[in-house]
Amino acid sequence: MWDQMLLGIQTAFTLQNMFFAALGCFIGTIIGMLPGLGPMSVVAIMIPVSIQIGDPSTTLILLAGVYYGAIFGGSTSSILINAPGEAAVVATSFDGYPMARKGQAGKALTIAAISSFSGGTIGAILLMGFAPVLASFAILFWSAEYFALMLVGLSAVAAFAGKGKVLKALMMTLLGLMLSTVGESSLFNAPRFTLGLLDLQSGIHFVTLAMGLFAVPEAFFLALDVLRGQKGGSKEARDISNLRINLKEAKTIAPVIGRQSIQGFLIGVMPGAGATIASFLGYAVERNLANPEERKEFGQGSIKGLAAPETANNAASTGSFVPLLTLGIPGSGTTAILLGAFIALNLQPGPLLMQDRPEVFWSVIFSMYFGNIILLILNLPLVPYIARLLAIPRTYLIPFVLFFAMAGAYIGQNNATELLLLIGFGVFAIIMRFADYPLPPLLIGFVLGQIFEDNFGRAIRNANGIQFLWERPMTLALVLATLAFVMIPLYRDWRSRRKASSLG
Amino acid sequence: MREEESSRFLLPFRVTMLSINRWVALGFLAFSSGYGYLAFTYRILPFERFLAMKPNTLPIGLAVAGMVCSIALLLVPEEQSSGSGEENKVLGSDHKYLESPENYEWGKGAGLLILAVIYALSLRQAGFLISTSVFLIFGGLMLGERKFWILVPVSCFASFLVWYLVDEVLTIFMRPWPMIIYQ
Repeated sequence: MWDQMLLGIQTAFTLQNMFFAALGCFIGTIIGMLPGLGPMSVVAIMIPVSIQIGDPSTTLILLAGVYYGAIFGGSTSSILINAPGEAAVVATSFDGYPMARKGQAGKALTIAAISSFSGGTIGAILLMGFAPVLASFAILFWSAEYFALMLVGLSAVAAFAGKGKVLKALMMTLLGLMLSTVGESSLFNAPRFTLGLLDLQSGIHFVTLAMGLFAVPEAFFLALDVLRGQKGGSKEARDISNLRINLKEAKTIAPVIGRQSIQGFLIGVMPGAGATIASFLGYAVERNLANPEERKEFGQGSIKGLAAPETANNAASTGSFVPLLTLGIPGSGTTAILLGAFIALNLQPGPLLMQDRPEVFWSVIFSMYFGNIILLILNLPLVPYIARLLAIPRTYLIPFVLFFAMAGAYIGQNNATELLLLIGFGVFAIIMRFADYPLPPLLIGFVLGQIFEDNFGRAIRNANGIQFLWERPMTLALVLATLAFVMIPLYRDWRSRRKASSLG
Repeated sequence: MREEESSRFLLPFRVTMLSINRWVALGFLAFSSGYGYLAFTYRILPFERFLAMKPNTLPIGLAVAGMVCSIALLLVPEEQSSGSGEENKVLGSDHKYLESPENYEWGKGAGLLILAVIYALSLRQAGFLISTSVFLIFGGLMLGERKFWILVPVSCFASFLVWYLVDEVLTIFMRPWPMIIYQ
C-alpha cells in the first residue's frame, strides 16, 4: 500500500500535474462565480477539453481542481451579492451576505477560503485513511435511511425560526416542498401541477427559484434604499477589502471547522446526500451548539454561521469521492459526471481501481491536498480585489446584480419564461420580506423535497408500510435526531418565554 | 410642504405588520387550498391505484399541513414587528420600509422590476447583446447615472463579455442578434 501511495505522490507532484491542478482551480473559481454554472455544469463543460490531454491522472486532477474551484467560486457570488448559483452554497449566503452588508466582505471571503481549505484538506486526509471502510458503511444506507436523513435536513429549518417565527418557517418549508412536486418525478409516470404549461413540465429550476428568492429582492431593496449596505459596524470593520482575522475569531471558528469537516465528510460519503444537505445540517448543528449570545448572531453575519456550511460543503465534496473511487457509485451529480470522464478514459472506478491503477487512484487523492493549497494561495491575494466589487457605484452595481441573477437562469435554457418566473418569485420574496418571513426554509424544502419524496416512496414500497421507521435502527436513530433538532429550539423558546414572563 | 404632501399621499399605504401577516396567511390558505384541490382531483393512472404511495399522497398531506399552518398563522396573535428586536439591531427588518414609506425611493425599485420584465420579454426578439446592453443602460439611467460616455461603453462591453464567455468559450448557445436577422 505504501508503495502505491508513493507512486501516487510521484504522479501527483509532477510539474505538469501541479500546473493542471492550479489551472483547474483557477478556471473553476472564475466560471463558478457565474450563477447558474455550478460545479456540475463547469465539470461537464470541461470534460471534452480535459480528455484531449490524454493522460488519465492529469485529466482527473484537472477536473478535480475545476470541481473545488467551482464550489469556492459559487460561494463568492453568494457572499458578495446574495446570489447563490448552486444549492450547496445557499447556506453560505445566510451569514456571508449579512457580513458583506456590514462592510466585512473581505473578512467573509477570507473565512470562506480558510474554511473551504480546511474542509477540503481534512476531507482528503479522511478519504486517504478510511475510504474502503467508509464505502462499506455507505452501502448500508437504503431508501429508509435516506428518507430519515432528509428529515434531519428539513429539521434544519428550525435554525431559521427566530423568536415567534416557528410557524412562519414551517409554512415556508411546506411551500418549498409543494413547489418541489411541480413537474416530472422519477417515481411517477406523469408530470404534476404544471397547470398545462409546457415550461413547467421539467419542474421549477433551482437557479430560477434561488435567484428569485435572494438576488432579485436584494436588487430591489438596494434601489429602494440609498443607505442600504452603508450601515453597521465600526469604521475599521467596514473596510471591505480588509481580510484580517484576529486571534479571537480564529479561536471561535477552529472548533466549527473541526466538527464540520468530519460531519460534512461523513454526509458526503453517503451516495445521494451530498454537499447541499451537509451545508444545511452543518449550519443547523452549529447554531444549536452555539451559546445564546452567539446564536443571536446567526443570520446577522455570524462567522460561525459562515464557516460551518463552507467547511461542510467542501468536506462533503471530498467525501463524495469515496463511493465513486471505491465502489464506482457516484455520490452526487458532479461525481456522476466525473464517472463519465472515468469511463471515457477507459478506467473503471470501483474496488479494483486501487489495485489495477494505483497511480490514478492515489494521484487524484494527493492532488486534492495540492488543489486545496492552490485554492487558498490563489484566492487569498485576490480577496481584496474581489471584495472591492462592492465598491462599484450603485447605479452600476444594482442593474448588474439583477442582470447577473437573470443571466444565471437564462444560460443554457434560452427560455424567457424562466426569467418571468424568476421575477415572479422575486416579487413574492419581496412581499415575504416585508412580512418578516424567513426565505431559506422555502429553498431548503424545495431542494430536499424531491429526494425526500423519492426515498419516502421507495421505503414505503419496499416495506409495504411505514414500519421501517422503527424497525431499522439507523432510520430510528435519525428520526430521533430530527425530533431532538426540532424539540431543542422549541424548548429553548418556551424556557426563554417563561423566564421573560416570570421576570415581567 | 412638498414632503408633507407626499407623506399624506402615502398614508393609506402604511401597512402594519399585523395586517400584512394576516394577508399573507390568507394568501397561503388560498394557495394551499388550490394546491389541495389539484392534488385531490389528480387523475391517477390505472396501474398506480394499488401503489402504497400514489402520486398525490404526499401532495395531499402537504396541502392539509399547509392549510392547518396558514389557519394557525391567521388565528395565533403574532408579535408586532420584530424590527425593533435584538436580532435585527444591525441589519434591520425589511418591514421598516412599510413603516415609513416616504423615506424610500419606491419608484426606482418598482421601475427596476418593470425593466426586468421588459428585458425578459425582449430577449427572444432583440437577442442577448442588444437587450442586455439596453437593460443595463436604462437600469443605470433610472438609478441616476448621467455619465453616458461611461455607462454606454461599460454596458455594451459587459454584455459582449458575458456572451463571449458563455457562447464562444463555454460553447453554451446564446443567440446574440435579433430574431429578424436569422429569418
